[in-house]
Amino acid sequence: MSRAEVLEALRARFPDMAARPVDTASSVVVDGMRLREHLLHLRDTLGFDFLTFMTAIDRPTESRLELVYRLFSYTSRVSLMVRVLLPREAARVDTVSDLYRTAEWHEREAAEMFGIAFTDHPDPRKLLLPDDLEGHPLLKDFTHPNMLRLPEVR
Amino acid sequence: MGEAPQPTSDEFLLNVGPQHPATHGVLRVEVTMDGEVVKNIVPHIGYVHRGLEKLFENRTWEQIIPYTDRTDYLSAIANNFAYVMAVERLLGIEVPQKVHYIRVIAAELNRIASHLLWLAAYGLDMGAFTPFLYAFRDREEIGGMIEEASGGRLTTNYFRVGGFVHDLPPGFFPRLETFMGHFGGKIDEYDTLLIENAIFVARTRGVGAISRERAISYGMTGPCLRASDAALDVRRDAPYSIYPKLSFDIPVGKNGDTWDRSKVRIEEMRQSLRILRQAIDGFPEGDFRVKVSRNIEPPPGEVYAAVEGPRGEVGFYVVSDGGRKPYRVKMRKPSFSNFSALPEILRGMKIADLVAVMGSLDLVVPEIDR
Repeated sequence: MSRAEVLEALRARFPDMAARPVDTASSVVVDGMRLREHLLHLRDTLGFDFLTFMTAIDRPTESRLELVYRLFSYTSRVSLMVRVLLPREAARVDTVSDLYRTAEWHEREAAEMFGIAFTDHPDPRKLLLPDDLEGHPLLKDFTHPNMLRLPEVR
Repeated sequence: MGEAPQPTSDEFLLNVGPQHPATHGVLRVEVTMDGEVVKNIVPHIGYVHRGLEKLFENRTWEQIIPYTDRTDYLSAIANNFAYVMAVERLLGIEVPQKVHYIRVIAAELNRIASHLLWLAAYGLDMGAFTPFLYAFRDREEIGGMIEEASGGRLTTNYFRVGGFVHDLPPGFFPRLETFMGHFGGKIDEYDTLLIENAIFVARTRGVGAISRERAISYGMTGPCLRASDAALDVRRDAPYSIYPKLSFDIPVGKNGDTWDRSKVRIEEMRQSLRILRQAIDGFPEGDFRVKVSRNIEPPPGEVYAAVEGPRGEVGFYVVSDGGRKPYRVKMRKPSFSNFSALPEILRGMKIADLVAVMGSLDLVVPEIDR
């Protein structure tokens, strides 16, 4: 599929697709329950075979976590941001590590850093952090006794 | 860290690392073996995790640049490049042509230096000592040039949002010409000396192959992906800076094995020389920076900027809430994805191939752990 065809197919499937401010890649918000279905379609029908990275953003003021999956298509060279909005408490979403093998490690990192549970993840151990660390460091309200306050910049 | 699968009576468990010369950094793999055949392999990472992404949320936009050097110390310039580009896009800054040219020259020199260090270390892994000395001799020249321009040799902290602190120093181009004059021949020499060497070929041909589909699924990028016959290069496929104006080939391998990964890197050094030639010939007059406020406060928004580093796609996903510090920075690092494919590549191979395969992935551990 050519670039134009892929973009057209995307617009047909995601009518509210739009680019976020600044970023040129198209961005869609999907329902967490249908994430796997969407990614499977994107991968197999539209050729988005490459998961560049996956991460999350903590939004405590809106009390939610925003999951970000950045996809890339090797054939059409189109990038796409797929987002899932989760409640901040007891966030849970299906794993996509069987669809994209690289997601296994990215999800392990997101799980330990943000406290997101990935249903059916094949290896839900911590990835980078020590096993005995309590809490999820990339949450905005994370504190730790050893955390020092950095000097304020003027 | 975690439970390793218990070996059955015929199997035994071998622990490699975290302090082991063949891991090229502080990481550990648990290998379950049946005789000398690898049955399963469990990588353990995080030994040098410094919580950089958390730290970034407490630093100003400018203060982050030197930290990016220290994620991948062998390609500090590629990391500077991606980060600075992301912030410039957030701010809506267009830098002068001359800045682009200096950046591309620095980035390609950095690529050659990184590949040379890989060649040196990989030669040692494979039992060849001489290429190590040769590669370091040439790498020294690049170190000297980069030091003259930036003040640093490894962690250069060279790029700034909007350009550079200084213009290129006088005498930079004659020095670069001298290097370019003889380095092309050196690449041919390394090619015959190491890559085409019968012993090297015997140890690497057909070892650690991964198919294009699997490499893509693991998110592999850079020479490790291109060795699997996938011509994917950020410089061409998500173009940035002046790369669309430059002509260069994207070398690919056929089998995706250890030898192909080596050959691709040699070929990439030749292509970098081509890019350098064009950048020198087209080098414009102009300013080496554009004026940027001392206190950067990008408008709310987000951007993902990526460059083709020596190891693959180096990307920074930055989110701004309009403040003096980023709201969130995610570093997309090539070694992270490349290394995650190791268990699949290595399963069913001999233990002696572990060193050959890990070396060919050209891992830099601090960028895996961040």
